[in-house]
Amino acid sequence: MRTGRKILVVFAIFSLLLMLNLPKALAANAKYDAAGLPDMSDFDPSNPIIPTGDTIKIAIVASFSGPAAIVGEIYFISVQWAAHDINKRGGILVDGKRKKIQVIRADTQSKPAVAKKVCERMILKEHVNVLWGTNGSHIMKVINQVAKKYGVIAQCAAALSDELYDARNFTRYSFMTSFQTNQIGRAAAYYYGQIRKKEKKFYILCQDYLFGHSMAEGFKEGLKLYYPQAQLVGEDYHKLFLTDFAPYLTKIKASGAEVVYTGDWIPDAANLLVQARQAGIKLPFANIFLDEPNFLHKVGVEGTKGLLNISQFGAPNPLFKNDLQIKFYKAWNDLWKTKWKAPFNTYLFKHPLGNIGSYMFQTYWLLSVIERAGSLDPEKIIKQWEGDSYEYISGKVMTMRPVDHKAIQDLHAFEYVPPAEQKQSFNIPPYSYFTGCSNTGPISTIPAEKIMPKLDPKLKR
Amino acid sequence: MTKRMAKWVSWGFLCLVLLVFPRVFGIYYSNVFVAFAIFAVYSLTLNMLLGYTGLLSFGHAMFFGTGAYTTAIALDRISGMPLLPVVLAGFVASVVLALILCPIVVRVGGTAFAMLHLAFGQLMYVLALKLRFLTGGEDGVGGFPIPAFSIPGIISVDMTNPLNFFYFAIAVLGLSTWILWFFTKTPIGSIMIGIRDNPQRVEYMGFRVTHTKAIIYCLAAGFAGITGSIYALFQNLISAEDGYNIMVSFGPIMATIVGGVGSFSGPIFGSAIFSIIEELTSRYTERVELVMGLILIGVILYAPMGFMGVMGLLKQRWLAARKVKLEGAK
Amino acid sequence: MDSTTAMYVAQGIHGLAYGMILFLVASGLTMIFGMMGILNLAHAAFFMLSAYFSYQALAMTGNYWIALLAAPLATAVVGVLVERFLLRKVHAFGHVGELLLTVGVSLVILDAVKAFWGTESLYVDLPESLKGLIHVGGLEYPVYRLFVIGLALVVLFIMAFLLYRTRLGMVVRAAVSDADMVNALGINVPLVFMLVFGIGTWMAGVAGVAIAPILTVFPGLADQMGMDAFLVVVTGGFGSLSGAFIISLVFGELSSYGVQFISALAPVLMFVLMAIILVIKPTGLFGERE
Repeated sequence: MRTGRKILVVFAIFSLLLMLNLPKALAANAKYDAAGLPDMSDFDPSNPIIPTGDTIKIAIVASFSGPAAIVGEIYFISVQWAAHDINKRGGILVDGKRKKIQVIRADTQSKPAVAKKVCERMILKEHVNVLWGTNGSHIMKVINQVAKKYGVIAQCAAALSDELYDARNFTRYSFMTSFQTNQIGRAAAYYYGQIRKKEKKFYILCQDYLFGHSMAEGFKEGLKLYYPQAQLVGEDYHKLFLTDFAPYLTKIKASGAEVVYTGDWIPDAANLLVQARQAGIKLPFANIFLDEPNFLHKVGVEGTKGLLNISQFGAPNPLFKNDLQIKFYKAWNDLWKTKWKAPFNTYLFKHPLGNIGSYMFQTYWLLSVIERAGSLDPEKIIKQWEGDSYEYISGKVMTMRPVDHKAIQDLHAFEYVPPAEQKQSFNIPPYSYFTGCSNTGPISTIPAEKIMPKLDPKLKR
Repeated sequence: MTKRMAKWVSWGFLCLVLLVFPRVFGIYYSNVFVAFAIFAVYSLTLNMLLGYTGLLSFGHAMFFGTGAYTTAIALDRISGMPLLPVVLAGFVASVVLALILCPIVVRVGGTAFAMLHLAFGQLMYVLALKLRFLTGGEDGVGGFPIPAFSIPGIISVDMTNPLNFFYFAIAVLGLSTWILWFFTKTPIGSIMIGIRDNPQRVEYMGFRVTHTKAIIYCLAAGFAGITGSIYALFQNLISAEDGYNIMVSFGPIMATIVGGVGSFSGPIFGSAIFSIIEELTSRYTERVELVMGLILIGVILYAPMGFMGVMGLLKQRWLAARKVKLEGAK
Repeated sequence: MDSTTAMYVAQGIHGLAYGMILFLVASGLTMIFGMMGILNLAHAAFFMLSAYFSYQALAMTGNYWIALLAAPLATAVVGVLVERFLLRKVHAFGHVGELLLTVGVSLVILDAVKAFWGTESLYVDLPESLKGLIHVGGLEYPVYRLFVIGLALVVLFIMAFLLYRTRLGMVVRAAVSDADMVNALGINVPLVFMLVFGIGTWMAGVAGVAIAPILTVFPGLADQMGMDAFLVVVTGGFGSLSGAFIISLVFGELSSYGVQFISALAPVLMFVLMAIILVIKPTGLFGERE
C-alpha cells in the first residue's frame, strides 16, 4: 500500500516536472547506451580496424603533420573509439541499410589553403558524409564554407570561436557541439563571482588573435554580470608561440593580481605556467587547456595546486556514479595500461575524460543523430539535430539550439587539488587521477541558463 | 613555315585540352589545376627577378599577399565591386608597394637584396596579424561575396560555380603568362639578362641599370599581385599564413630551382612537380616535410640545373647518340 | 628597492637573458654567413635538435650537466656532417643552391625529430641547484635565468678568445675577408669552413639546451627563434659578430620593456627598428658585405 502510494506521488511529481519542461536532464531525446558497450579489447589506435566499402564516412579534418600533429592523434583516437564501439554493435541503419562507420584522416597541416583542398577531396573524391573539425577557428571557417558549398554536414567539435556561427559565417550544414569562447569566459566569471566569492583581482593574459580576444571578452562580460565587485588589474595579449613570458609575468606580479585568466593553449599555456612557477609566482590560473597531464607532471603537485579548469566534459562529483561508468572507464584505461604504443601510451591518453571524453561523446551524439534521422541525407540530419538533446555517459546533457546550431550545456569548474584529496572526485582505486600532479577535486556546476551560448541578434532564420 | 604551323597547332591543342579539362577530370582536379596555375604564374613572376635579372628575393610573398588582401578587403568592405576591377586593384596595390620599396631595394643586389625582402616580408606578415580591424588577424579575410563576371547588358557569369571560375582563372593567368613572356622578348628583356650577367657592361652601354631594375621589379610585383588576387577569389579566404608566410616566399624559389632557373618555362614545370608531389603526399603519407626535404636535397645534389636542365641534357645526349648512330650507318 | 623599481630592474634582466640566448643563435648564423656566404636556414633546426638531444641526455643520465655538455657537441657533429657531405658538394653551384639545401636539411631534421620523439611537448627539468630564486634588495629573480646569462657570457669569451688570440682565429678572420688568398697560402680552407660550421651549430646547440627548461621542447620550437635570429643578423649586419651582439641585446630589452609599457605593440617594435636601420643602411648596422 505505502509503496504504491509513494510511487504514485513520485510519478505525479515527475509528470508535473515534465509538463513544466524544467528537468532537461530527464528529458534528453536520446542517451548513450552504456549497457551495450561491446568488447573493445581489439581497439588499437595505432592499427585501427577501419571498415571500407559502403560505409558512413567521417573525415577528421585536422593537423596530422606539422607542429600540432599530436592534436590530430587526440581527435583520431577519440572519434575512432566511438566509431569502433558503434561498428561492433553492428553499425547504424540508414536509408534501409546497416552501415559501419569509416573514419578518414584528412590532414590540414594547419594551413587554410590545404584545409580547403583536403575538404574538397574528402567530399568530391571520398564522398564523406561528415567533416569533423578542428583545431583553429580559421581552419574551421574553411571547413564550414566547403560544407556549405557542397551541402555536406560539418561538426565543429574543437574550434571554440563564437564568430563561426554569427550572422555572417553561419551555415545550416554545420553544428557546433563544443563549448564556446564567450560562454567559457562568462562561466569562469560566474564561478569566481557566484560560487567561490573569494579572489577579487583578476589579470587577463590571452593570445593576440581572434580566439584569445573573444575568450577575454567573454570573461569581461561575465565579470560585469556576475561579479561587479571584481577588479581587472591588467589585460595583455601576447603573440602566439611566445618564447619568453618573463616580461608579462613580472607585470602580473607587480599588478597584485590574485587570479590570472588565460585562454592560452599548449604550448603557450604550458610555457606560461612553467615559467611562472620558475619565477616564483604561485598565482592560480584559470583556463580550459591547463589540463594536459604531461606538463602538469612537469610542474608537479605544488605548482599545479589551485589551478582552475573550465571543462566541457564535467559532471558533479563523484566521477563514477554507477557500474556502467566504471566499466566504460576500465575498457579504455586497461587498454591504455597494457596495449597501446606511442604516442598513445603517455599520461595524455590515460583517461577517457576531459577533452578526449568530450570529443568522443560529441561523436557519439553525431552518430546517434544519424541513427535517429535514419538517413545520410543532410536535410534529414539537420532536421533531426536542430533542437535535439543527448545525454553523455557522465549524465551531462547537450541540447542543440535550432536557431544558430550551438550546443546548450552546463559547464563545470574543476578546482585542482593534490592527489590525496582527489578521492572526492575519482572515487575508485587508485583514488586519484595522477600521482605526480594536482588534478580535479571539487567540481562546481555552472548551470546552462547562466551561460547560454552567445546569439548574434543579426542572425535571422 | 611548317614550324610556325606546328606552333599554332600545339597552342590550339593546349587551349582545347584546357577547355575540356574540367569535363574530363571533374571539379576536384579542376581546382587542383587552378591551384597549380596560380602557383606556376606566381613562380614565373619570381623568375623574372631571379632567373632573368639575377635578383634573389626572400620576400616575394609580400606582393602575392598584398594582391590577395587588396582583393579580399575590397570585396569584403565595398558592396557591389565588380570582378575585373578587384583583380586590377590587386595588381595596382602590389605595384604601389613595389614603388615604395624601390628606392631602398634597387640600390642593392645579392644577399642584401634577399635579406631586405626577408625583413620587409616579415614586417608585412606581422602587420597582417596585428592590424586585426583590417585584416582579421590570424583568421584572415574570408567569406566575402564573389562577384559575377559581367559585361553590362551582354553577359553575366556566376563565378561561384567552380567550372566558370576555372575558365576565368585560366584566362587571366594565361594572359598574364603571355604578357610576361612577351616582355622577355622586348629590348628591355634583353637588358634584364644583361643586368644578370654583367651589370657594369649594361651601364657602360648607356642603359640605366637601376631604372631598368625598378621597372622589372614593379612588373614582377604587379603580376604576383594578380596571382594573389586570383588566389583570394579561388579560396574565398586569405590569411597571413597563406599570404605572407615565409614559406609563400620560398615556394616559388624552390619551384624555380627544381624546374630549372633561367628558362622561361622552368618554374611552370617546377610548380607542376610540386603540385604532383603535394597531391601524392597528402594522400599517402603524413611525412610531408621528409618528402619535400629529401627532394630538395636530392635535386640540389644531383640535378642542380633543375628539370629543364635535365631535359636539355637528355636531349643533347639523345642527339649525340643519334649522330653517332647516323655516322655509324654511313 | 621598492616593488616598482624591482619590476623595472627585473624587466631589464629579462631582456638581457633573452638577448643573450638570441645572440647565441644569431652569432652562429652570422659567423657561418660571414665566412662561407651561406645563409643557413637550417640553423634554427639545429637549435631545436639540440633541445631534443638535451631532453634525451637528461632522460638517459638524469644529469643536467652532462646534457649541457653533450647535447651541443652532438648537434655540432651533425652540423659538421651536413657541411662535409652535403653543403661542400653544392658549394660550386652558388648560394641559391646552398640555401635551398639548408631548407631541405631543416625539413628532414624536423621530420626526424618527430619520428624519434613524437609531436608532443617534452619537458626538461632543472637541476636542484639552479631552481629557486635569488633575493637581492627587494628583487626576486630566478637563478636559472642568471645562469643562462652567465653561460652565454662564457661562450662569448671563448669565442672572442678563439677568434682574436689563436692561430685558428687568425685564419678564420683572414678567410672571412678573402678565402681564395688564404687558400693560396696553403691553408686548408674547406677544413676551416667545416670547423666554423661546427662551431656555429655548437653555439646554436648551447642556446637550445639553455632554452629547453624554460620552454617546452616541441617541433615548432625552431620557427620562432629562427625568425628572431634572422632579424638580428639582418639588422646587425651580415657577418658582423659585434652587430649581432648589440642588436640581440637591443631586441631583448625592446621586447621586455615593450611588453611593460606598450604591450599591444611589443611584437612590432623589433620590426620597426629593423625597418628604420635598413632604410638608412640596407646592409645592416655593421654590415659591409653584400
